[in-house]
Parts: sequence; C-alpha cells; structure tokens
Amino acid sequence: MPADLAVAEAPALALEMTGISKRFPGVVALNDVHLRLEPGKVHALMGENGAGKSTLIKILAGVYEKDSGTIRIGGREIEILHPSDALKRGIKVVFQEIALIAEFTVAENIFLEEYPVGRGGSIRWRTIRKEARALFERIGFDVDTDARTGALPVSQQQMVEIARALAHEARIVVMDEPSSSLTPNEVGLLFKVIRRLTSLGIAVLYVSHKLDEVFEIADTVTVLRDGRHISTRPIAEHTNDTLIQDMIGRRIETLFPRERGPASDRIALSVKNLSTAAKLKDISFEARAGEVVGFFGLMGAGRTELAKAIVGFDPISGGEISIGGKRLHPHDTRTAVSLGIGLLSEDRKGEGLMLELPVVTNLSLAALEEFARLGLIDESRERAAAQSFVDRFRIRTPSLEQPIKNLSGGNQQKVLLARWLMRGLSVIVVDEPTRGIDVGAKSEIFALIDRLASEGHAVVMMTSEMPELLGLSDRILVMAGGRITESFTREQATQEKVLNAAIG
Amino acid sequence: MPPSVSLGRSNRLGAGAVDAFAVLTRRSDITLVVALIVLIAFFAFTAEYFFTLRNLTNVLGQASLAMIAGIGVAIVFISGEVDVSVGSLQAAVAIPLIVIMNHTESLTLGLAGALALGLAIGVVNGYLSAYVGINSLIVTLGMLFVLRGGVYLYTGKTAIPDDVGLDSFFALGNESLFGVVPYPAVVAFVLLLVFMYVMRHRPFGRMVYAVGGNAEVARLAGYPVRWVKFVCFVISSLLATISAILLASRLGSAVHLSGLGFEFQVVAAVVLGGVSLSGGIGSLFGMALGVLILSFLSNGLGMLDLATEWQLVITGIIIIVAVAFDELKRRRA
Repeated sequence: MPADLAVAEAPALALEMTGISKRFPGVVALNDVHLRLEPGKVHALMGENGAGKSTLIKILAGVYEKDSGTIRIGGREIEILHPSDALKRGIKVVFQEIALIAEFTVAENIFLEEYPVGRGGSIRWRTIRKEARALFERIGFDVDTDARTGALPVSQQQMVEIARALAHEARIVVMDEPSSSLTPNEVGLLFKVIRRLTSLGIAVLYVSHKLDEVFEIADTVTVLRDGRHISTRPIAEHTNDTLIQDMIGRRIETLFPRERGPASDRIALSVKNLSTAAKLKDISFEARAGEVVGFFGLMGAGRTELAKAIVGFDPISGGEISIGGKRLHPHDTRTAVSLGIGLLSEDRKGEGLMLELPVVTNLSLAALEEFARLGLIDESRERAAAQSFVDRFRIRTPSLEQPIKNLSGGNQQKVLLARWLMRGLSVIVVDEPTRGIDVGAKSEIFALIDRLASEGHAVVMMTSEMPELLGLSDRILVMAGGRITESFTREQATQEKVLNAAIG
Repeated sequence: MPPSVSLGRSNRLGAGAVDAFAVLTRRSDITLVVALIVLIAFFAFTAEYFFTLRNLTNVLGQASLAMIAGIGVAIVFISGEVDVSVGSLQAAVAIPLIVIMNHTESLTLGLAGALALGLAIGVVNGYLSAYVGINSLIVTLGMLFVLRGGVYLYTGKTAIPDDVGLDSFFALGNESLFGVVPYPAVVAFVLLLVFMYVMRHRPFGRMVYAVGGNAEVARLAGYPVRWVKFVCFVISSLLATISAILLASRLGSAVHLSGLGFEFQVVAAVVLGGVSLSGGIGSLFGMALGVLILSFLSNGLGMLDLATEWQLVITGIIIIVAVAFDELKRRRA
C-alpha cells in the first residue's frame, strides 16, 4: 500500500491513555504514564516487577481508579470507574488469575456479564450455546462449550476469556502475562488466536516480561520502570540488549551494606539432584556457613518450589538434601527445623504470620520447646528472649503484646527472621524477602541478612528483584523452567548476563 | 480461513469412558432419583400400609413444609451464605397471622401481617449478612434465638388459638385439591417449579450461582453481589413464612413450640440434595429430592415400628454418607 501521509498523520487510535498517575499510601505506582493502542496491532507492555504494568491494566479494567490523566477511546474521553464500565467501552482484560466461574459451563461463562433474554425475560439458552460455538469458530479454537469450565486446562480457560471478549464486541483486549502458565505448544496456539484477533481489527495489549515472546508477537513495545514511561518504540528498533536496558535502567543504589567477611569452608546445606513431580528438575547446589546464595528466576522458574522443597514443606520425587551433613527426610518440616533449616516464606500473611496474635507469640513459635519447663511455657524466659530480639533487630513495636497485624511490613519481616534465629538455625531460606516492603525498610532487611551471614548462618535467597540479587549474593544461581541454567560468582554477575540466563 | 486450532478435541476423545461417571458427578440428581425409587420400593415391600394413596399423600403433605422453606434455604446456600433462622421464624410469623385474624376476622390481613414480619426478618438477615458483612451463620443463628425468645415472651409459653375459625384459613393446611393432593403439596410444587425456572432460566438465578461460585469474578462481571445475597435472604424468609402459614392452619393456632428443630430438618434435606455449603453448587430439584427422601425415610421407618431413636441415628448416618460421597466425587472431578 502506498504511504498516505494524511492518513498516517491521524491514525484512528483504539485507545489513548495520557498523563495517567496513581498513588497508593507511601508509593507512587504510576507517574504521568501514556499509552496508545492502534486497532489491529499488538502492543507489548514490559517492565520489571513493580514497574507499574499491573496498576496500569487494573486502571483499564476498572479495578483501580486513576488519580489523574485521561483515557480516550476512538477519540472520545471516557471514565472507567467500575469493572462493568470497561466492558461496556469495549475493553476486556484477561487477568492471570482467570476470572471465570469454575462450576459454570463454557457457554454460561462467556455470557456471564449479560445473558441474552427473550421477550418474557427468560434466558435464551439455545442462542447462548449457538453463539458460544460461533465465537470459538471466529477465534479459530475448538472447545466443548458444554464442558464444566473448571475441568478445562488453563490454556483453554484463557481462550474462554478471549471468546468472552468477542461476545461483548471488545475492541481492545488486554492480556496479563498470558503465557506464564502455558506450555510452549500452548503459547503457539495463543499466538495464532492473537493474530486472529488483530485480523478482526482488535487492538491487543500484551503484558509480559518475556523477551522472546514480545519479539515474536508485538508490533510496538512500551517499557515502564518505577511507575514511569521509559520508551515506546516499534519492535524492529529494539534488540534484546536495548529492551533489557530500558527495563532495568537504573544503577543499583548502595542499599547494600556489606560487613561480613568471606564465607567459611563448612558446607551447611547440600542439595543433590533434587526433583519434584511438578516443577524442579535435577537441582544441585551447596551453601556454606557465612554465605548468601542468591537464586534468580522469572515468574514460574521454580524459585518458590525450590524453597519449599528444601525446607521439607513440599514432597520431592528424587534427590537428597543434607543439612550440616545430616540427611533430611523429604516432606518433613519438623525434622527440617530440628536439623536447623527454616523458611521465610514469600507469602508473609498466608504462611508466616499469625496476624491476630501478639508479637511475642509470633516470635517464639518455632522455639517453644526451649522455653518449656515440665511441659509448661516459662513466659518470663519467653518474653526476655523476645525482648532481646526486638532490641537487636530494632523491631518497631509499641509492646510485645501488640497484635502483629499492626506492624509495618518491614517489621513483620524482621519478626519472622528473628523467629528462626531464636531457634538457632544454621540455614535460612528467604523467599522474596522484601516483597511489599518500602525502600527504607528494605535496606534494614538487607543489613539483617548480611548480619545473619556474618554470624555464620548460610542464607539461601530467592528473589526476582535484580538489585537485591546483585547487591546481597556471594554466588548467584539462575533458574528457568525448574532447572538451574547458570551460575555466577558475585564478580562475574551483571544484570544483562543474569537476565539472559533467566530468559533461557 | 485458516484451519481451526484443535486443542479441545484430544480432551474429548478419551472422555467417552469417563462420561457416565461425569454425568453422575454433575447431575447427582440422578443418583438421588434412584435412591428415592429404591427407598419407596423397599418400604412398599416391607411395610404393609406404606404404598397406599392415603399414606403417600400424607407424606407429601408433611414433606411440603420442609420443601417450601427448603427452596429458600437452598437459594441462600447457593449464594454462598447460610440461613438457619427458619425454625423460629415459623413460630414467630404465626403470631401476627392468628392475632390479626382474631381481631379483624380477615384472612387477607392476617396473611399480610405474617408476610410483613417474614419480610422484616429477611431484610434484617440480609442487611446484616450481605451489607454489614457479618457471617451469616452467626446472624441467622442469633435471629433463631431472638425470635424463639420473642415468641416465648409474647405468648407466655402457650399457644394462641385461632378463635375465628375461618373456613378459608382451615382449608389451606387441611384440605386437598380434588380431595387427593393436600393444598400444602400443591403450593410446594408450584413454588418449586417457579423457583426452578427462576434459578435456571432467569438472569437472577444465574447471578445467584455466580455470586456463590466466585464472588470476586461476579463482582468483576459487574454483578451487584451484595444485593443478590440480600434478595436471597428475603426470599428465604418469605418462603419460610408461607410454610409457617400452612403449619398454623394445620395446627389451628400459633404454637410457641412450632418449628423447633425445623431449621436443621431443612438444612439436612438441602445438603442431602447436593447443595454445597460453600456456595455455587446445587439445584432445587436435588433439594426437593432430599426432602422427599428424608420424609419417606422417617415415614417408612416409623411404619416398620423402628424406635424414633434409631430413626434419628439412621437419618444422621445417611446425611453424612451422602455428603461425603458428594465431596469425594467433586474432588475426583
């Protein structure tokens, strides 16, 4: 087609977001961000965790309300105050957590928002089933529309969501990390369906941090970092390196005090050929006393699974784990703790804290036996020990009786770390130690981890945050698809090398 | 057009063998129908007067009260909430019914009074559970106590007799359509059909299932989640009121003890019918079968001269086994 300048100057935009800002207590999640989607094109939205991708699409979906900025569809300014507004304006967001009713059939889910009714107000079931089948034909995907949705694999549930978008004549389809739970084969099918959508003139916003996928499917890429718009460029102008650079950008701050000396030679934790049924394949590594071993991986790489397996939380299918030379029986947290290994879970509220209970009870949980005398807990010793940790770790709490839910995230995290130290552990596994913690408290956690290592503990740290990985670790192991793909010493590691290994 | 991508196919091919099981899993109603038939057949052969028109219609008449209230309770369960207040409600709403009739000699005004109190109870249950967000088990359990206590206080722990004796009021609970089908059974059947239609064929019914199935998804789909739950509580109280009116007609008075334990009889039938306590799962048809099974069971066991103590034990075991069976099937699915 010959270039037509008049048309090129004013291409009809499917969606235009300008000057979007959103602030949460203590955090600016989005700061003056803009985004333009063209009909029939795939636009990728990239950025590290916490860059603001999710916030932006939640604003589009009507889950969050923006603080400022304008959203235009087809040139007209609109407000999205509620999830149903988004759909009425032709915007369909397919979240990672699939939003379907498991007990409903596929056809029932597709028309969830509004069931077509006949003149008497009865639902027209025959129409629904017929139209559901027609929709799947349009996106070129074959699914049993009478099947119970919950019984379908995630990949097919995604297709149900996409068909649902078409049922509402959506002109803009947003997909949030759609490939994170798909096999490579299924990703291929997803891409076919996405191309079918664009051929129907639908604008697709593809949120991802997977470079290869973005290069394959996207026409344009917008990168966010720390809630700011960094760049919007045609994919052809990008290389792996330029994209990574845009995503990471900043230099690592000196958040990371390092006062510990070199690690000892004593091996505190040894993992050999560890596999699990679900995820991990042939993982082997060692951690020495006084060492911080950092594990990096993208979402779904298997970091949390590894953390849970080595502390005996989850069953394993092969391999062995020894702590201080003693073999750990798999899937047995009790022995694991008595051998001296503990987990600081990434899910602080779900697997770490007893929210309603006071600080002292949360602290002494794992060490109760040490305060027990004739089967009774000696409360004065329990309190004395708790107080000493509160002082040492500078845990800010009005009293030991304070329910722990009233403490800040950073102080909660310190309590959890102290819980394991009270028990006198030799190996501590920390999973995403600074998730949901503000920057000030982060550096305190980093200092604590450094101190643990200097006191002779072995620390195994799972993280998806590049700065803390590079700033804290003595050795870095990179995971992808449940395997260790690469290992670096502190000196060898750079952001680019690590990220490349993680993309695998 | 490019060939369509076929991922679903492979799934469906191998599914033939499991399909029979899948049918039972999704439609546990079929299992219940079979159980009911087996039960009736068993008693027909073992108990002499069981399979007589008189006895069968008698059971239907008794079952209809639990069935009417069961519709409402099942709907509340499907929406993901619980309503255990229907027992005391039966005693409470009978008071305005009888008292107003005694003063005005008007059935219409009496019914209006009963329904008004039932509506008020439903509004309070629904408001506290859906809008204030108090656990509905606690709200309706509290309501159960409050109403029973209120009834004792008002009546001084005696029954209030119907002094007017309107024929129309007497007919409600005691006469039969064409002399065969008791009116309560007719009312239950009509209400059952209406609400089965609503739950299956009206958008509101789908909303109830969606809200109970996954409230967050329902909210994202733009559903008024709280309103839906609120309406379910109101429906439940109104239906329980209707059952109370029929009961009062049969008893000829507002009895302070009526409905004692009725709530659990209803809940037992509802869960036996395959309605999940966690919401989103179950059907009114299943609930109706649950009511019938329990009714025929107690009637038949009674005719076999089995002591009521043993009837209770057997009923309890059947409920637990049936629900455990449901749960296991669900996990396998």
